[in-house]
Amino acid sequence: MSALLNDPDAPNRGLTSGQMAFYRFRRNPLAIIGAIIVISVILAAIFAPWLAPSPESAGSFVDFRNRHAPPSWDHPMGTDNVGRDVLSRVIYGYRVSLGLVLGVLGFAVPFGVVLGLAAGYFGGWTETLIMRFTDIMLALPPLAMALAITAVLSPNLINAMIAITLLWWTWHTRLIYRIVKAQMNEDYVEAARVAGASDVHILFRELLPNCVSAVAVKISLDAGFVILFGAALSFLGLGVQPPTPDLGTMVATGSEYMPEMWWQAVMPGLAILYAILGFNLLGDGLRDMLDVEL
Amino acid sequence: MSRLLDIQDLCIGFSAYGQHRRVLHHVNMHVEEGERVSLIGQSGSGKTVTMRTIIGTLPMPPGKVEQGSIHYAGQSLLDLARAERNALKGTGISIVLQDPMLSFNPVLTIGRQMDDIIRYADIRSGRRRPKAERRAQMVETLRKVQLKDSGRVLDSYPVMLSGGMRQRVLIGMALLNKPRLLIADEPGTALDVTTQAEILALLNTLVAKEGLSLLLITHNLGVVREMADRVYVMERGHIVESGPRDDIFDAPDHPYTRRLMAAVPPLYGHKVKTVTHTGPGDMVAVEGVSKDFLTRGGWLNRVTGQFRAVRDVTLNVARGDVFGVAGESGSGKTTLAKMILGLTSPSAGEIRLDGRPVSDFAGTRDFRKLIQIVYQNPGSSLNRRRTVADQLAVPLKFTGQDRAAITRRIGELLTLVDLPQAYASMYPHELSGGQKQRVAIARALSVNPRILVLDEPTSALDVLVQSTVIDLLNRLRDEFDLTYIFISHDLSLMRNFCNRVAVMLRGEVVETGPVADIFDAPRHPYTRALLSAIPVISPEEDARKPPVTEAERAKVLATSTELED
Repeated sequence: MSALLNDPDAPNRGLTSGQMAFYRFRRNPLAIIGAIIVISVILAAIFAPWLAPSPESAGSFVDFRNRHAPPSWDHPMGTDNVGRDVLSRVIYGYRVSLGLVLGVLGFAVPFGVVLGLAAGYFGGWTETLIMRFTDIMLALPPLAMALAITAVLSPNLINAMIAITLLWWTWHTRLIYRIVKAQMNEDYVEAARVAGASDVHILFRELLPNCVSAVAVKISLDAGFVILFGAALSFLGLGVQPPTPDLGTMVATGSEYMPEMWWQAVMPGLAILYAILGFNLLGDGLRDMLDVEL
Repeated sequence: MSRLLDIQDLCIGFSAYGQHRRVLHHVNMHVEEGERVSLIGQSGSGKTVTMRTIIGTLPMPPGKVEQGSIHYAGQSLLDLARAERNALKGTGISIVLQDPMLSFNPVLTIGRQMDDIIRYADIRSGRRRPKAERRAQMVETLRKVQLKDSGRVLDSYPVMLSGGMRQRVLIGMALLNKPRLLIADEPGTALDVTTQAEILALLNTLVAKEGLSLLLITHNLGVVREMADRVYVMERGHIVESGPRDDIFDAPDHPYTRRLMAAVPPLYGHKVKTVTHTGPGDMVAVEGVSKDFLTRGGWLNRVTGQFRAVRDVTLNVARGDVFGVAGESGSGKTTLAKMILGLTSPSAGEIRLDGRPVSDFAGTRDFRKLIQIVYQNPGSSLNRRRTVADQLAVPLKFTGQDRAAITRRIGELLTLVDLPQAYASMYPHELSGGQKQRVAIARALSVNPRILVLDEPTSALDVLVQSTVIDLLNRLRDEFDLTYIFISHDLSLMRNFCNRVAVMLRGEVVETGPVADIFDAPRHPYTRALLSAIPVISPEEDARKPPVTEAERAKVLATSTELED
């Protein structure tokens, strides 16, 4: 499109690519909604002590007079089986979820990216070794793997994080590997080599910048899935242990009181849905904006 | 004669990213029955927009016809209903696209793809024909485009055909449903010059035999001279000049047309500049160099054969030479350059730079300070995620200079290639093609090398931009006493830029010598075939092309009419 608008040999004086990307983003209502949702979740997690109507509900607080109270003005999401405010626990639950996202992606993304860069750039045995190992990891059923890992170690947040991280890097390796393979056909890689650039320089200064937008999109899509995966582990009792508020655990406990006291399971479930929806809409918006294929 | 295609006062605008821009301004042009018309323009001039509006594939929005009309055989195309307009596709107006590879679906056979075209045209016109009848029509069409062995061609997949054959099939596809107007978008430009000449001849024959009208869209003036009765010149969305071909070529009126003509490097005649300068001593010595590539396949990736890309090449490049290496695709010229640059090592023979064997010091700092390269496509040789300054800094950083020296040197380099200092912080996509190539030249010069390998440095650029880049290269050569190795398939450009040339064919150097000798008295039939195939812009040049017999041509050129076994 922009090629049609350009003058023969005048520089592109119109919009910068950043402005064009922002324009595309701005025109995409779903992406805006996604961004708003993600920001609201992050703010809720950061300011939980101030936002939660009853911060003490996040701990092992008990109020038997108010147990199983349906949603009301005092408790917009009702209370649970020991009388804790569900809304407060949901807000605190986001802290756990986002902590999990940061922990998992903070390790899995750099690890996966470096392996993908190395496999694509060096080729040969390095490539075979890394990519076949990645394939083996991808062939293992993720939930069964995570169950095995957390069962062998003891079930808690850190071990759940380790289990998910061990499974997650593979996707980034595959993504980066494919991008680097395509980029290796571009002359700038050889040009850098002729200029005397080291492998480290080519990997991290030349190739990595060309992977950034794809990784950014993948991260925002991943965040939702990591939350979901963490919640699934907690639901099975292998994640965060009580009394720490966790959305998955809350759904698990609440489901015992279904359907009469539905809010105890449905409200945290909706909270999970809300966050995942936000991250996915944002990811799709970023994908359109940065024009990357995943 | 009646007007088959008539465009009146056409204005087209684009709205994108909240901005509006008009790209065609009051375009008037027409094609008469049986006439060959050319639309010339540089990239971005609006010729593709015009073509896409005619065939109805311009995306709207963002495009919008703001004014004007297009009539085909009396019908107003812009007012036709979608179905009526589609019915004209292939039967009324047909198109031959530029890239013979991208225009095919790689996973379907040629026959299947041609059959689809016939079938859908039949469906649109409410006809039904048995398969055998359709196949007969395909065979008939392939015969028209002079393809032998049509049965095998129809059963082939696109990758199995050579570029020239694919272009022939593409033309055949456009003719399948017997159109009256054929639009050709840069036909043959993606092909070698000898193949291009065959394709142009074929198009001319077809237009005459089938009574077609032709609208040719191109930037190549030489092609226009061979292919058009009447010419329109387009600049930035305006038709700046139009008229019969000979009028335009003999006496161009508009300054833009004159600039275009002047920028085309002449092949023969009084306008040719002969470069003779040369210095003492060998800068590059290539002695008996061959390069074999192994082909692998079968079980466990065993070596199944070898392919000799470069065969026993011996060349000497003197200090100060602009040494041209000419050849078509697959001639081994790029492999030779890679060996000179030490990026790949020869299977036999030796290359010495300034007296030192390449194998001794390739990859060292000394080597990089001796020889650098400028690539063909600056869009690919510059990293689009890094600023101009970042990219210019790479060679400097790896010759161990500190940050202050690097910054100073980047400033000098930009001045050297006539770019404003402010460009240092820009990204490649903010620059035009010519400016990008200047950045690539600056990068190659940053460590003060004495030899530059220029791998088709202007083939991705428009002819006007090409002449400015060549001027720059000439100036730099004088200023820094550089030696150039200029790899190209553009012989006209070589005639005016190089002082010595070598012609390569299938890995071998078939002829080498001073530029005037090679062009004025070519000895090898391949050199003669190459020279005679170049589309030139004056009868004077045509007259001085070397003679080449059909037998010689057949011996040295690969055919584009037959499948290889």
